Amino acid sequence: MDKIKIGIPRALHFYYNGRLWKNFFENLGCEVVISPPTNREIIEQGTKYAVDEMCLALKIYLGHVAYLKNKCDYILVPRIDRYDVNNQTCTNYLAIYDIVNNLFDMNILNYNINVPKKENDYVGLVEIGQSLGYTITEGIRAYNKAIYYCEQIIDKDIRINTKKLDSNKIKILIVSHPYIIYDQYFGVPIIKMLNDNNLEIIYADKFDNKQTNALANKLSKTLYWKYNREEIGAIELVKDKIDGVIFISSFPCGPDSLVNELVMRKLKLPYLNIIIDDIDSLTGIETRIESFADILHEKHKSNQ
Amino acid sequence: MKNTSQTNKKILTFPQMGNYYIPVKFFFRHVCNCEIMTPLPITTNTIEIGSKYSPDFVCTPFKYTLGTFIESLERNANILIQAGGGCRYGYYSELQEQILKDLGYDFTFVNLVTAGNRNLKYISNEIKKIDPHYKKIKALYYLFIASKMVKYMDKIDNYIRENIGFEDEKGSFIKLNNKMLKEFSRVKTYHQLRKIYKNYNKKFKNLKIHKPNNCLKVGIIGELYTIMEPFANYYLEQELASYNIQIKRYTNAHYLLFEKGKTVKKYLKYAQEYIKYRMGADAHDNIARCKYLCTHNFDGIIHIKSSFCTPEIGAMPIINKICKQYNVPIIYFSFDANTSEIGIKTRLEAFYDMIEMRRKK
Amino acid sequence: MKECYLGIDIGSISTKGVIIDSQNNIIKSRYIWTEGSPIKAVKKLINNLKENLDKNIIIKGIGTTGSARKLIGLMLDANIIKNEITAHAIGTLTFYPNVRTILEIGGQDSKIILLDNGIITDYSMNTLCAAGTGSFLSSQAKRLGVDVEEFGEIAITSTNPVKIAARCTVFAESDLIHKAQVGYDKKDIIAGLCKSIVLNYLNNVGKGKKIYSPIVFQGGVSKNKGVLKYFKEILKEDVIVDPNSHLMGAIGIAILARENKTNKIYDLNIADIKFETIGSECNGCSNNCEILKIYRDNKLIDAFGNKCPKGAIKS
Repeated sequence: MDKIKIGIPRALHFYYNGRLWKNFFENLGCEVVISPPTNREIIEQGTKYAVDEMCLALKIYLGHVAYLKNKCDYILVPRIDRYDVNNQTCTNYLAIYDIVNNLFDMNILNYNINVPKKENDYVGLVEIGQSLGYTITEGIRAYNKAIYYCEQIIDKDIRINTKKLDSNKIKILIVSHPYIIYDQYFGVPIIKMLNDNNLEIIYADKFDNKQTNALANKLSKTLYWKYNREEIGAIELVKDKIDGVIFISSFPCGPDSLVNELVMRKLKLPYLNIIIDDIDSLTGIETRIESFADILHEKHKSNQ
Repeated sequence: MKNTSQTNKKILTFPQMGNYYIPVKFFFRHVCNCEIMTPLPITTNTIEIGSKYSPDFVCTPFKYTLGTFIESLERNANILIQAGGGCRYGYYSELQEQILKDLGYDFTFVNLVTAGNRNLKYISNEIKKIDPHYKKIKALYYLFIASKMVKYMDKIDNYIRENIGFEDEKGSFIKLNNKMLKEFSRVKTYHQLRKIYKNYNKKFKNLKIHKPNNCLKVGIIGELYTIMEPFANYYLEQELASYNIQIKRYTNAHYLLFEKGKTVKKYLKYAQEYIKYRMGADAHDNIARCKYLCTHNFDGIIHIKSSFCTPEIGAMPIINKICKQYNVPIIYFSFDANTSEIGIKTRLEAFYDMIEMRRKK
Repeated sequence: MKECYLGIDIGSISTKGVIIDSQNNIIKSRYIWTEGSPIKAVKKLINNLKENLDKNIIIKGIGTTGSARKLIGLMLDANIIKNEITAHAIGTLTFYPNVRTILEIGGQDSKIILLDNGIITDYSMNTLCAAGTGSFLSSQAKRLGVDVEEFGEIAITSTNPVKIAARCTVFAESDLIHKAQVGYDKKDIIAGLCKSIVLNYLNNVGKGKKIYSPIVFQGGVSKNKGVLKYFKEILKEDVIVDPNSHLMGAIGIAILARENKTNKIYDLNIADIKFETIGSECNGCSNNCEILKIYRDNKLIDAFGNKCPKGAIKS
């Protein structure tokens, strides 16, 4: 029998949970198809399916789903409701399953995350395993193996990220959603520019997120978006060890529009705010990064 | 910026939203020992200063309410109330407070809703910020009356909406409604309120109308603030009524406060071929309503929202699909602080022409 | 005596006028620039139309459409004033009774109208942002130092259009500047701009609309061969541009004027009519509404612009 093919769009929550999903399904014996890094065709497909006003990240997501059409038996589209009352996500995560289900004629594997109601990755994935014909025991074993593997990698990421704080170079913290900053088409070229400007890059999302989540309260008392909490908590965690902060968000991100504004008003460090939309040319961003780097380098020199 | 706390007098105010300032003002007048400033109406100036101090791609209600706060502070208000949740709205307060503090104003900020949840103990603590000695029993009693007032206002409003396009004497509905609201604001007991409501309910039913049986019917769905604040939707309902159209709209304060919680399951079941989950704010409600309007002989649907309203944007592809399936025309309006009023009127007029032509066919 | 009807379409950029008879024959038509002054433009337009007009013709109806329809309707005492969406559809239908889709890109607005059996079944307009409209195109042409009339000719010579982000005017503009700075060929940038207008139109105005043939493309931008080329290429369908496409709105409103005619006979000697508008600010509240008072022969005939009854002025 052919292996069951499971498609995973390389966008949005893939950048938080993709590794777990891939590992889980491979442990079960499925074949996993991940859409390629964002490219022009994916963006065009996404634009075709999306409503014009949708945020760039959601448009891209739909492009990745379109790519996977006819390339797999099932496509995985989990939905996130909330982790707890103070750890919610933007409403796109609430809507994503229903949007995909209405726009595409595909078999969708879906589970819901609503932790107060005991709905989480573990329960959701094991149930999906069952629906695909695997036993509960097989599911649990596959999940445990996958989560162990992921934790190793996360620990390693945190170690590397933390070590960079001791670097002698000018250090900047990137505050951005992973699905933007690690996206091949949008974030990665920006990272390259930062490297070219001889900056040490520290990522806000690569710290112990329990710790950063708790620290977020120092900057914002009422913040209830999980991902934003973890990212701004990182500012609080490393603020004495870095030289500047760069905010990168996609147009027109709902939570970022408010949270970043608040944080920038309170921040005592130099910062740069970059908003990206579907733009091929990065020249405008390049100019701004260069001048920001120049300012940091000058400041550094005069302090020595 | 001037410091507004030279006197010790407490002056409380809150943002404008339709006529709902009446029950809100009623509540605080009876419960808290302070002066209450009737919310300033939104004007072009409000939008201008609101936009000036707001982040670029925040949704429009943020700009409107921030503008109102600044105008109120300039007129010496010193206690500001904000409430909202379900989407970004829940986070408005903290940022607005920070922006206003950065502008140099001195005030107390009271936020009645946190993380989109209603929590009585939390609300009680917030009210203590206004008046530490307020009486809980009294508060509960007046909260009860205020909520009934909202209910009655919305009931009358629904009747007005369905009939105002057909009134014999132009302006008769609005005139009567204003009279009723004035009496509402003066009541002391629930009993009085009920009596006034019943009385006016009869008066409304007696207002002369000439309504054909087969008049054009249009449903309005979309984002709540834009729907409920006429200034934010450029008096859309008034415009529609001038074309002799019967208007159906669901979102009102009574629905949001007392019914919404109960309807989630019902709506999800009703529209189950389209949606499985709630989608944030009123998005899933609007999908279910869209199906209802499409299957109940409505001539058209108007979807309105403020620019960048994420939940409604998420609902749009699904709403579009439903309208296509049932072949019901729909137009979308995305209102921004810079929206051109003439553009809206042109689109509405064309929409009216279209649904009328379809009827004739 | 021959009964005829005058239709005037006053847009933000151009003003179009047409006189038709009862069989939809175009007796006379004119097209001039509005130049920011609709009243002046219409006076000039009517004087142009009047010249050498057959003495046998009497005007039995006047219709106005376009963004200044209300003002000019009052000035001419038109028997019908209608929005341009309806007018365009009616006008196009008289020449293409089977038309299923009308694509229109004008100076400030772009719209799509879907029809079935001569009835408008669906339409949509741009979301109130000027990206991808005629005025955007001409401002970009100016920036590139090219005459907007030549734009289309240059565009079709390109085989390799540059990709330009066109969701929003601000982004499109900055993208365009960078592309030019980086050193792309001008013709490829121009072609890219034309293509981006088409893509943006289909993703915004045409989102979710099923486009059936026959397709008619009109509005000022329809004269641009580059945009036309990319419409054909992307839709993979033939797209018709009528030589009179710019007059469709005026023709449509003239037809509506005929359908709503009264006994009145109109005089075209309006050059001497004193028609004035006086703007004033209402200080009733901080809206500070701009109220426009309209006088004909020194008599106040209407006023508008007030948001509330406070600013209402009785004629």
